[in-house]
Amino acid sequence: MENVIEISNLYKKYNNFELKNINLNVPKGMIMGLIGENGAGKTTTIKAILNVINSYSGEIKVFGKDSKIYEREIKEDIGVVLDDSFLSECLNPCDINKIMEKVYKNWDEKLYFKYIEDFKLPKNKISKEYSSGMKMKLKIATALSHSPKLLILDEPTAGLDPIARNEILDIFQDFIQDEEHSILVSSHITSDLEHIADYITFINNGEIILTKTRDELLEKYGIVKCTKEDFEKIDKKDYIKYRKHKYEYDILVENKEEFKRKYDIQIIDKPSIEDIMVMYVKGGK
Amino acid sequence: MNIIKGLMTKDLLQLRSYRKSLIIFIIIYFLVAISQSSINGISTMLVIMLTLGLGMFSMATFNYDEVSKTDKYILTLPLTRKEVVLSKYIFCICSTLIGCIIGMVLSFIITFIFTKSIPNIFEIISIGIGAIFGISIIETIQIPCIYKWGAEKGRLNMFILVIIVSSILGGISYINFDIIQVSNLLSLIEKILPIILLIAIFFINFISYKVSYKIYSKKEL
Repeated sequence: MENVIEISNLYKKYNNFELKNINLNVPKGMIMGLIGENGAGKTTTIKAILNVINSYSGEIKVFGKDSKIYEREIKEDIGVVLDDSFLSECLNPCDINKIMEKVYKNWDEKLYFKYIEDFKLPKNKISKEYSSGMKMKLKIATALSHSPKLLILDEPTAGLDPIARNEILDIFQDFIQDEEHSILVSSHITSDLEHIADYITFINNGEIILTKTRDELLEKYGIVKCTKEDFEKIDKKDYIKYRKHKYEYDILVENKEEFKRKYDIQIIDKPSIEDIMVMYVKGGK
Repeated sequence: MNIIKGLMTKDLLQLRSYRKSLIIFIIIYFLVAISQSSINGISTMLVIMLTLGLGMFSMATFNYDEVSKTDKYILTLPLTRKEVVLSKYIFCICSTLIGCIIGMVLSFIITFIFTKSIPNIFEIISIGIGAIFGISIIETIQIPCIYKWGAEKGRLNMFILVIIVSSILGGISYINFDIIQVSNLLSLIEKILPIILLIAIFFINFISYKVSYKIYSKKEL
């Protein structure tokens, strides 16, 4: 399968944080969800892909090209939405059009204003007067209007109400209908990624813990509920993490069917991605 | 070049909300200028204040960028850090030049109206170049400071800078110069002083741009 992003051994050190040899591939035509708690390294990874941080080691290829050497060429085909950064809020959509038509070679004014209309954004109102959902839609309209092949989204649904979140997820679903299009989206709202992501990569404390297809995570993984006596009979190799509660144990297993066959424990829940994430972060071994 | 135009358009549109303040500023400066007792004083003040004023206004774009964290977003666009820094310098120089030209035109008109004679254009241009040199000194120190420490701390450094420069100038005035020698020297270079200042403006802006780019190219956003 062709990859639009290939990250090999990405290493970046800050005073109190380290991104440890990240290896990550984003397949073409897919949505890759990057999950992890705040400060886990999701945004740093995205910043490295976009060369917003530049003193890192390792290799990053986008569309098969070195991201540092072919930076400008690559960025012509990427649409970016960042949660905490955009153009000044004293600009309106018409102003943004005037700026972006000079920045992107492929900027499509008609398409941009079509998005602005579809998203019901007032053209002559400065974005300071928009709701959070509208501000995010303006960022997305801007990111989509030069017909990018790849969208990189950092926390695009953070701080939005469920209706706005759903509308925004629908926009991404529409974008991915074209098989040439791909999305890398980071979020700590895992339920959003459960809806749209084809692959999930979980980053914790600067390390990639796992990369799996969404279906693999949701269908194969399981959370076993058992007593202390049952827990003591389980081989450590057969579970990933466990959490001790007042009267029972929760155990995260990678293959619930295999586990069922080996042990006589029938209560195995289907976990959400959030459950898996919490077990990895909070659980013991 | 198109990308630099895009970045400058961004800065210009951001400053649009300062329109009212800018008009009030021009009126106040105009009033301050015409409060001078002589026509020469008025025309000099107009050129100096409008050049300094518009030059300083352009620096406000750094504040907008900082508040919206625009720098991070800008770096995701198909452009280089060199273009980002260069666009800021070109924008500041253009604003200063526009202020200077407006000041010179107003100065020319006022002098012409009140004295009924064609003003000394060389003198007005010399004052303009002097004013551009003055604001260039401030800007060329402030911009690298902003890239290093951000707009807030950069502004603080600006105040420190003004205090230091004023103290030095104040100190110099207490030194016993041989006034005749100094005036001889000044009259010697009087004709070429604007050219010297123009070269100096280009030089300090070039050095400042290089320093800013070096800081910004290593900056992690």
